[in-house]
Amino acid sequence: MTEFLDLEFQDSVRMPWNVLPGTKSDAANCVIPISAIYTPLKSLPSTTPLLPYSPLRCRNCRSVINPFAIVDFSSVNKIWICSFCLQRNFFPPHYQSISDQNLPAELFPQYTTIEYETTATNEKAQVGSSNIFLFVVDTCVIEEELGFMKSALLQVLGMVPENCLIGLITFGTYIQVHELGFAQIPKVHVFKGSKEVTKDQVLEQMGFFAKRPRPTTGVIAGVRDGLSQESIARFLLPASDCEFVLNSILEELQKDPWPVPSDQRAARCTGTALSVAAHLLGVCVPGSGARILAFLGGPSTEGPGAIASKNLSEPMRSHKDLDKDSAPHYHKAVKFYEELSKQLVHQGHVLDVFACALDQVGVAELKVAVEKTGGLVVLAESFGHSVFKESLRRVFQSGDHDLGLSSNGIFEISCSKDIKIQGIIGPCASLEKKGPLCSETVIGQGNTTAWKLCGLDQTTSLCLIFDIVKKDSSDAIAQSANNQFYFQFLTYYQHGSGHMRLRATTLSRRWIAGPGSKEDLISGFDQEAAAAVMARQVSFKMENEAEFDPIRWLDKSLIHICSRFGEYQKDTPSSFTLSPRFSIFPQFMFNLRRSQFVQVFNNSPDETAHFRMILNRENVANSVVMIQPSMISYSFHSGPEPALLDVSSIAADRILLLDSYFTVVIFHGSTIAQWRKAGYHEQPEHQAFTQLLQAPRDDADAIIRERFPVPRLVICDQHGSQARFLLAKLNPSATYNSDIPAVPGGDILFTDDVSFEVFLDHLQRLAVQ
Amino acid sequence: MASPGGPRPGNLPPSFIPNSLANNMQNLQINQPNQPQSNNPTGGVSRPPNTTPFGQQPPPFAGSRPGPPPHSAFARGPVPPSPSGPPQTTLSPNVAPVRPAGPPPGSQPPTPFVSRPLPPGSLPSSMGGATVSLASGSSPQLGPGPHHGPFVSSPPMSGPAAPPPVRTSGPLSNGPPGITPAQFQAGPRFPPVMGSTPRPPPIAAPQPATMLSSGSSSQRPQLRPNFGGPPASASLATTHPGPSSAPPQNMLPPPAPSPFSAPIQSVPRPSGSPYGMQTWMSQQQQVAPPPPVSGLQPPRMFGMPRTLPNQSLAPTSPALFHTGAAGTAQSKVDPSHIPRPIPSSVVILHETRQGNQANPPPPATSDYIVKDTGNCSPRFMRCTINQIPCTVDLLSTSAMQLALLVQPLALPHPSEEPIQVVDFGESGPVRCSRCKGYINPFMKFIDQGRSFICNLCGFTDETPRDYHCNLGPDGRRRDADERPELCRGTVEFVASKEYMVRDPMPAVYFFLIDVSTNAIQTGATAAACSAINQVIADLPEGPRTAVGIATFDSNIHFYNLKRALQQPLMLIVPDIQDVYTPLESDVIVQLSECRQHLELLLESIPTMFQNNRIGDSAFGAAIKAAYLAMKSTGGKLLVFQSVLPSIGIGSLSAREAEGRSNISAGEKEANKLLQPADKTLKTMAIEFAEYQVCVDLFITTQTYVDIASISVIPRTTGGRVYYYYPFTALSDPAKLYNDLRWNVTRPQGFEAVMRVRCSQGIQVQDYSGNFCKRIPTDVDLPAIDCDKTIMVTLKHDDKLQDGSECAFQCALLYTTVYGQRRIRVSTLSLPCTTMLSNLFRSADLDTQFACILKQVTGEVPSTPLPQVAEQAKNLCINILHSYRKFCATATASGQLILPEALKLLPLYTLALLKSCGLRGDGRIDDRSSWINYVSHLSTPLAIPLVYPRMIAIHNLDEKELDSSLIPETVPLSSEHITDEGIYLLENGEDCLICVGNSVNPDILHQLFGISSVEEISSQFVLQQYDNPLSKKLNGIINEIRRQRCSYLRLKLCRKGDPSGTTFLSYMVEDKTPSGLSYVEFLIHIHQHIQRKMP
Repeated sequence: MTEFLDLEFQDSVRMPWNVLPGTKSDAANCVIPISAIYTPLKSLPSTTPLLPYSPLRCRNCRSVINPFAIVDFSSVNKIWICSFCLQRNFFPPHYQSISDQNLPAELFPQYTTIEYETTATNEKAQVGSSNIFLFVVDTCVIEEELGFMKSALLQVLGMVPENCLIGLITFGTYIQVHELGFAQIPKVHVFKGSKEVTKDQVLEQMGFFAKRPRPTTGVIAGVRDGLSQESIARFLLPASDCEFVLNSILEELQKDPWPVPSDQRAARCTGTALSVAAHLLGVCVPGSGARILAFLGGPSTEGPGAIASKNLSEPMRSHKDLDKDSAPHYHKAVKFYEELSKQLVHQGHVLDVFACALDQVGVAELKVAVEKTGGLVVLAESFGHSVFKESLRRVFQSGDHDLGLSSNGIFEISCSKDIKIQGIIGPCASLEKKGPLCSETVIGQGNTTAWKLCGLDQTTSLCLIFDIVKKDSSDAIAQSANNQFYFQFLTYYQHGSGHMRLRATTLSRRWIAGPGSKEDLISGFDQEAAAAVMARQVSFKMENEAEFDPIRWLDKSLIHICSRFGEYQKDTPSSFTLSPRFSIFPQFMFNLRRSQFVQVFNNSPDETAHFRMILNRENVANSVVMIQPSMISYSFHSGPEPALLDVSSIAADRILLLDSYFTVVIFHGSTIAQWRKAGYHEQPEHQAFTQLLQAPRDDADAIIRERFPVPRLVICDQHGSQARFLLAKLNPSATYNSDIPAVPGGDILFTDDVSFEVFLDHLQRLAVQ
Repeated sequence: MASPGGPRPGNLPPSFIPNSLANNMQNLQINQPNQPQSNNPTGGVSRPPNTTPFGQQPPPFAGSRPGPPPHSAFARGPVPPSPSGPPQTTLSPNVAPVRPAGPPPGSQPPTPFVSRPLPPGSLPSSMGGATVSLASGSSPQLGPGPHHGPFVSSPPMSGPAAPPPVRTSGPLSNGPPGITPAQFQAGPRFPPVMGSTPRPPPIAAPQPATMLSSGSSSQRPQLRPNFGGPPASASLATTHPGPSSAPPQNMLPPPAPSPFSAPIQSVPRPSGSPYGMQTWMSQQQQVAPPPPVSGLQPPRMFGMPRTLPNQSLAPTSPALFHTGAAGTAQSKVDPSHIPRPIPSSVVILHETRQGNQANPPPPATSDYIVKDTGNCSPRFMRCTINQIPCTVDLLSTSAMQLALLVQPLALPHPSEEPIQVVDFGESGPVRCSRCKGYINPFMKFIDQGRSFICNLCGFTDETPRDYHCNLGPDGRRRDADERPELCRGTVEFVASKEYMVRDPMPAVYFFLIDVSTNAIQTGATAAACSAINQVIADLPEGPRTAVGIATFDSNIHFYNLKRALQQPLMLIVPDIQDVYTPLESDVIVQLSECRQHLELLLESIPTMFQNNRIGDSAFGAAIKAAYLAMKSTGGKLLVFQSVLPSIGIGSLSAREAEGRSNISAGEKEANKLLQPADKTLKTMAIEFAEYQVCVDLFITTQTYVDIASISVIPRTTGGRVYYYYPFTALSDPAKLYNDLRWNVTRPQGFEAVMRVRCSQGIQVQDYSGNFCKRIPTDVDLPAIDCDKTIMVTLKHDDKLQDGSECAFQCALLYTTVYGQRRIRVSTLSLPCTTMLSNLFRSADLDTQFACILKQVTGEVPSTPLPQVAEQAKNLCINILHSYRKFCATATASGQLILPEALKLLPLYTLALLKSCGLRGDGRIDDRSSWINYVSHLSTPLAIPLVYPRMIAIHNLDEKELDSSLIPETVPLSSEHITDEGIYLLENGEDCLICVGNSVNPDILHQLFGISSVEEISSQFVLQQYDNPLSKKLNGIINEIRRQRCSYLRLKLCRKGDPSGTTFLSYMVEDKTPSGLSYVEFLIHIHQHIQRKMP
């Protein structure tokens, strides 16, 4: 395992197969696709320099020079050979001094991932140098929620860097675009929520041409194309200039005044509001890094993008409705948000959603727009909940746990010619740059070698899925001569500082083909990465393939992989063994089958969408936690130690800390709970107990501090109602109808789910057939 | 103020009372010296009670008025007791707060009346004709006794009778003049007063009337109308012959005088009685009930005194002239003898019924006080003919129109008793179960009171049990005199639940202000904001008053006024194709909650938009948006608009310019430009009306705004157009403010529905005015105010019984500004007749002319102008022809004989033909605006509109002692204008002051502060200088304002300028390139009539 982590440390990449099957058929047999989970902006080792110049590029394939390039120092002109297309390139004059002993950093072998910052790219610094935040605030909420939201926003406004531009849109039944730059009185432009607003209307109607005539031709976009800085500055102002105005507007912010009949939902025009926000940014600051922060307190019911009818008697769509295709608003809404996402991607802007409501707000429909623009999503029950408040703060917080928000990324892939790209599952949008590297089979954002990442941060992780196209492996000679596949990932983005940077990661992986390749493949198998890839794949397929049966697909895949890589005698289940490289993979699959990604019926479509969006942007380690929560037990008998994710881990005198990524549960065994209730921890003589109680709290805090979105913390006692957050995740080795009586102080689960043991039995049986 | 006299009828407060208005006013007004109200109550002596209320006369005004002291002395005496007392006292809740015109502070009796010195004259007047001499009663009024003397002389006759009393009434009538504190200068107080205007109504009488002797030389007469007396008399005599044997019928004549007059004060009358012939005109006699006083002014119709006593017959005084040879005819007419209106300033007391007979009303333009004795006051409803022809044939033979002019909330005279409010509780007012007519004094109770016969449909209804009352020996219910609904022509019923589809709406005022470049730069926006800001204080107090405000250019800007901490919030509605209101609430806020915000906002709007470069105006979208904001309640939408609506819903093109550039099309379809450009605005307007939104437009412009199109909105919603063209920031803001103030403070009601019911045999043919009609029988009025008049044309559907009475009942269901739902029911019962001569004798000139005016004007947009003119002329000719043919058969064929009652019809018709609306050469917008103005015009204002009042003001000094504030009028003929003179001409809206080229610079200096005619600028602001002349002028103008309830747009004109041309265009008696002179016109008519005669 550690070698994979080392690789990840250097290159921010994890691949299920670190030794690649060399042919198409081999690859097909591997079940898990050739893929990589890449975190473009993962912070680099501190020793890696930032290169203050532009990279050299291959004049043929445009890939960037890298340590794998062959450099010919001998020739007069100094030549390097591109590792992807084998093109010979001359070094430019200023590289003439290089030699074996004097290499530029990008050719150091340890700098396979390196970053360039080019000063020349800063021409846009004036306008978009810093981030632009457009707040889109739902006012169709009860007073209490509005109060929470206001205080959260007010708090955050103080944290926005002074040079960031800020805009504000509030909406309910109507949309109110606040003109922050009008000094005399507060001024808002009001749009009707029930009607789609076009970009042209925004241009025409918001007075962008009041002072100077509209150019007769051409596209109007920002200062460089037809708008005056002055007219833009009415809506988007540096935080330092509008803080007062904004504060007063927020303080006066009122609940949407339109009456809501008691049998109806509030008329909320989320779709139109977001669309107006997108238009406004598109008109004013296209191409600059800008984020729309949407604060939603309920479902959209008005105008395009409505996800529910106003009538309360018609319930919100459930997974069942979606399955049966009986959610009347769903497809229309999704289509609307798809269009919105295209616009945002085109403009390079990000949509972040903060959805805080007991009911669903339409994250499922919004998912496409958030995901394609690389936005953040936070789902909480209330604007007063710490999940929301803390998460929001994290967005603006600088320092240790800075999210490292960056924007306007373009991600490109180069790779050896025998590999093609199927697509990316993750927060990005295809730029539709087709090329010879595109595979015919497409998954996720495919059919391209370049993607747009409007918003990305340090943890944004893309799952790249490849295809091996080499037909046969008969050519053993070639294999030995050139058994490396090369990948290069280029990420061009606007750093939080406003500068444009390019990060280049170049990978080399050995490939192998032919009958003897199994051992090599096993040695390069990263089961965590494999689980993460499987999770993204199964989620993607569930959403995009009709009639897809995820359990069946996962089981088949697992069986297939086990029979391919396991050691056994045919038809003898008991003989079945797996290499350590594969040993916990079945367990991952078992838990994946039971996870929120697959067992969606316990959750609302919004929650599922939320889970999947986060899965799709997280790295392998975090994905694994989502799939298979980690559990630590604390007791007087021993120090904190990992515990089995099993009901048998429950004991009366233990505290369990479960991290299922979205939720962190501290579970007090019944004895511990009694002690706590008796107040022992407040007595000086029981300091040990105090510490025992505190230990999991500290650990939980540490988790929470690092994670975005902030997980929900549940503290519960054995037999308490909240304990379900823990119980649901445990392996049901002891259930109400199992033969073995519960251990005293332990617990049993009321479920008919199969336990891992049963699952494994079946697997072995089927794998050996 | 305590009500001295006031027997207050019901417990309920009267619906509204002028005086109380006045009281309020006092509080509001700043400048005015407050006269202690205390005086009033005591009033008896020194000052007529009524006057007090209005006390607030603007100082300037007061000062100037010389007259008061003396007059008052005698005037007052009588007054106090007069009924007037009660009115003031009552403060009914629903009173409209401010009567704009506050007359002088208590101390002075309203100027006009009081000032009149003529003691003697006054009473006599009543008899009017009495003296053989030509003079008719009118004389009294004019101060300058001497001159007039000649014909004025009439006074003598009456003299004996009641001396002073007459006067008394005078004071009462005046409305308080000064409206509010004049903003800029002291001068302008806006006197909109109640209806009573002393002025123009011509009093025909004086003159020998109308006859023209053909023989006279052609010379252009100077204006000596006054003197006219002598000659006239001669001619007149002839006229009487009054072939018209028709003598008035019955009722009145013989007994006539006495009966009526009798009731109350005999005093004045004694002598009069003999003359009584005019009985039918009973009005003259009216007596003010309590006080002995009766001001009788003979209305013009009386004029014909000569016949003297007996005459009941000579109801009409025909004027005739012989046509010699046709061609030469004109030369024979002595212009100084032709009929002209002679205004009377004497107050008439009018009892609506006397001796169980309908009493013909005094001229609409005269000053009168009504005592409701069964029929409603003529202010509320008057008929073109005061006797109803029994058959349709008779009516068509007369060629007259049968129509009612209904002004349901007309401003009463302050001395009149308030309208009584009757509450029937849950069950609502008693109504006929068949026709739904309301209980009224003419419902006949039978069968011991157990049932009653409806006077409208004839159905016999059972009396509701708890309404039962036994009948007295006279067949009337014993409680008839205690129950207002059984003894008054006008009462207000408290509406019960069944009259409400929702709770009565609050008083909502929404101001919509144009802030496009043009409006900002011309100062229109600032003027509007300032006017609104000042008017806020005048809005009805209380929790039911809500206001909203919005501005617009190419966007619409609403303002959220309900904000706890901060300034108002501007909400911009950018979509002007599909508008909406940006907030459900908070755009319209209770006044008490947002007063400060509102003031702040109004102050800052002009600066906020001072650099606005948006020239477009989304007028249609803006009013639609405002309407949407008001939709839930309804209310008044007051729009200040400065340019042509150029974008958004209902945008318009500058079609006037298009018409000009394409001459041929323009000519052919000239009247197209007077029609709305399309239906969009009409559709919108109907929707507004449905939701009780009334739109008033204040157009402050310097360009074409297509009034023809946009006026559809106010016309349909019960509003009106105020037109300020060309707008100047110097002089118009004062008028704008005063117009706005009157608009919101005058008596008014909301969400009204009106229906007129008639006795069997007559039915309503059509309604016309500013309203929306969804079903044929009712008109919907989102708002109705005291100035709005509705014409109701009638038709026969059966024969009426001779000797019976025909009743008309106008029921107006409305909500007061204080949120009470009321039904105002006015009932008018008129005798039926089969005699044509009765019809002519009882014709009501003012009403008839108002009808003609409205009808003809209504045709203008849809019919080519020559046809319209022809139609107008024919209306006049046909009537005169009918009279000539059937009622004046005995006279020589060469004579033009005019019915006395209608003798001014030709003059007015001529004036109409030359009026702005019927001249083809005016600006389209001016004409449209004129047409619109006419559509809701009240009867008293109809005549001045076409035949304005002109007075000389250069010689005010000389008339120092004159009792009348307003000098005698000058006929509208340029012959009466000298180069040394300064003349003031006013038509109720505009006031032109024409300065001759050789005016004494000293006078110029005194009046205008300038030293030569060259310095005259058309932008004129009346100022008061410290000299008697200037004070007088201010006094006069304030008085006119008071009378007209209008602030008047003052303009200075100078001969030779375009402004002078404008002035001359009002000289309707002159010959113009396109029109005949008055004399020529008479001849022209005469020829037509002769041609028609067999």
